Amino acid sequence: MLGTALLASAEHALNRLLRLDGTAQPRLARLGGRVIAVRCTAPELALHILPNADGLRLASHWQGEADCTLHAPAASLLRLAASRQKTAILHSPEVRLEGDSASLLALAEILEDLELDWEYELSRWLGPVATQLFAGSLQHATRWSGQSLASLRQDLADYLGEESSTLVGRHEAEARFAEVDDLRLALDRLEARLARLAHPQEPRDNA
Amino acid sequence: MNDPRKGREAEPTTHFGYQNVPESQKAQKVAEVFHSVAAKYDLMNDVLSGGLHRLWKRFTIELSGVRRGNRVLDIAGGTGDLTRQFSRLVGESGEVVLADINSSMLKVGRDRLLDKGVAGNVRFVQADAEKLPFPDNHFDVVTIAFGLRNVTHKEDALRSMLRVLKPGGRLLVLEFSKPSNALLGKAYDAYSFAFMPLAGKLITNDADSYRYLAESIRMHPNQETLKGMMVEAGFERVTYHNMTGGIVALHRGLKP
Repeated sequence: MLGTALLASAEHALNRLLRLDGTAQPRLARLGGRVIAVRCTAPELALHILPNADGLRLASHWQGEADCTLHAPAASLLRLAASRQKTAILHSPEVRLEGDSASLLALAEILEDLELDWEYELSRWLGPVATQLFAGSLQHATRWSGQSLASLRQDLADYLGEESSTLVGRHEAEARFAEVDDLRLALDRLEARLARLAHPQEPRDNA
Repeated sequence: MNDPRKGREAEPTTHFGYQNVPESQKAQKVAEVFHSVAAKYDLMNDVLSGGLHRLWKRFTIELSGVRRGNRVLDIAGGTGDLTRQFSRLVGESGEVVLADINSSMLKVGRDRLLDKGVAGNVRFVQADAEKLPFPDNHFDVVTIAFGLRNVTHKEDALRSMLRVLKPGGRLLVLEFSKPSNALLGKAYDAYSFAFMPLAGKLITNDADSYRYLAESIRMHPNQETLKGMMVEAGFERVTYHNMTGGIVALHRGLKP
């Protein structure tokens, strides 16, 4: 019962999220009636996903047959959930698909393409003017944070490389690495010549 | 010559909660209960079960294995909780029939489903579970959630459900049952006979209906007895799942 309750809560939250993208629900409706089973191999867990016009239905015990079954370890499933490139992970060797994989690939594409219109959802609660002010401030703060972070990174690199001379610059380091590579190569050749002088080869019999 | 008084005395009785009433009166008495509580039925379900009834019904849907294009009969469907979810699962090519013997419950269910935009693949039928007005071998799945204990002749109802199911079709009976733990049973008794009538009085101004609910649960067959009744009616591979410590059980049987 606890598992069912957790799944019901997760389903509720997920469907609220899906509603923020106006195109997700009509695309999920086209997958209506399909049953996608996800079987986690380590640890052993099972989840059934049933897309419909209202979002996704999640079930732990589904008695009917699944159209597509995905077998994967938990690590791959977590990567699948977090990554934007879901289809690439589905083609990785530790992941096994059975049945109609088109359903699962279509679901993965829908989740990849999600563009959540959080401003619309916020405007339902705060109204258009407050949302505009909040969104404007948030965008400004995000831009300012990005610029500040880039500036900080540059200043730190300048200080460590030029002023304190704690670290060398990238170009200088690359030149030294190239010199070390040349030296290593020359040393290898020298070693080979010394070995040849120390153990002269016996004359070959060409007869 | 027929003596009408003798005829009345000879009429078999059945239980209505803890009372014994003539069989012909039980349906009328149950109808009065549901006419009284219909308007606040959903609210009371949430209050009395702490929202757990949603999880019990969710598990029922999972075990039904309903697919697109299926035909589903939701007996005693009441306010349409199961019907709404079945409607999504069967899609436009399927059909869900919400049947209830009580016109008030059926009306509340119909209005609620229409308000939620559930239409097109749902039909509403006022029907008695003992004499279902549907052809033989018609439905893929039949469910009855919290309804069987109110039926006067449960064996007749189970046989009627078997008749309308297609071979291979599933019957799911979700009903209150007997707690598997004695301590939980005592706590549940105290809750049922003290809190439930009080909540009924405060919310619907009707303590008697909720006293009947508590009593009817105690009079309902336990898990094994109901399983035996389903086997007796002709179902195969009958299993049951206890939920919330056996307070509720979900029985499942297949038509051979």
